[in-house]
Amino acid sequence: MAAMESTTGSETRLYVGIWIGLLAIVGVEVALTYAGLRAGVLLMALLTLAVVEAGIGVMFFMHLKYERRTLFWSLIPGLIFVLLLMNHLWRDAARMVSLRP
Amino acid sequence: MTQSEMALTMGHGATDEESHEQSPFGIQSSKLVMWLFIIADSATFGAILFGYGYLRAGSPNWSRPFAFVPTILNGMVMTAILLTSSLTMLFAVAAAQAGRREAGVRWLGFTALLGTAFAVLHLREWFNMFAEGWSTATNPLGGSALFGSTFFSITGLHLLHVTAGVVALTVIAIGFRRGRFDAAHVETTGLYWHFVDIVWMFVFPLVYLMNARGGIS
Repeated sequence: MAAMESTTGSETRLYVGIWIGLLAIVGVEVALTYAGLRAGVLLMALLTLAVVEAGIGVMFFMHLKYERRTLFWSLIPGLIFVLLLMNHLWRDAARMVSLRP
Repeated sequence: MTQSEMALTMGHGATDEESHEQSPFGIQSSKLVMWLFIIADSATFGAILFGYGYLRAGSPNWSRPFAFVPTILNGMVMTAILLTSSLTMLFAVAAAQAGRREAGVRWLGFTALLGTAFAVLHLREWFNMFAEGWSTATNPLGGSALFGSTFFSITGLHLLHVTAGVVALTVIAIGFRRGRFDAAHVETTGLYWHFVDIVWMFVFPLVYLMNARGGIS
């Protein structure tokens, strides 16, 4: 555990705590999958948990929290905007189903 | 003539002073480039996942083939392995930054090993599916063949990233051991590795759990 000694004790505790938290979220996701939820509800729950996991990963594991704020504001809002734009396709997916005989 | 005008006349784009302008982000250019790559790659994965959602929502006969044992359980183990590899990567970066070269190399090695284990489990799952008759064009359950197309495309693209990451970790570990690479290289590689981990945080629920047999009422 030589490398662990090179992080401060509080950093190591933080990282291990986050790692346990992320594993716990995966457990919650699996439990929700078999909870008998409707597809839409399950999808929203799983997506929300995935976004929380990604947020924690980006901010703490990738250290974006400790970088200058200009880096965050230059990268993340643009990506979110692009991903939101992709939501335009859902109505067409519904149209595809209704076109079936 | 000013210094910059002289530089332009001499064919240089910028003076020495200008070319050493401080980054507005306060990070090395290699790290910034990695961040830009990650953002672009996130859009790629976002697009392919949205495409999967589109095809799934538009297919009335979508299959949900994954039983808890072996597929979902295998996916949970793979997820745990990848999350653990992110932790070992953090230790590698911390060791490298503290100047503990041997420890840094060791943690990089652990990370690469965990990445390899993830890839092996993934390939084993793929070959089991091939044996059951799944492919990018066939569905042994009789439902939409688009399931195989999207499943193998998404997980294949991710597996390609994991494989590239293992190669990069190995190259960086060897170079770091020999003194050719420094802690900044380890940190930049770490950014990529964490990104691969984060992408899986979306692939596992959307592609595996949403296709679990008996999972949706």
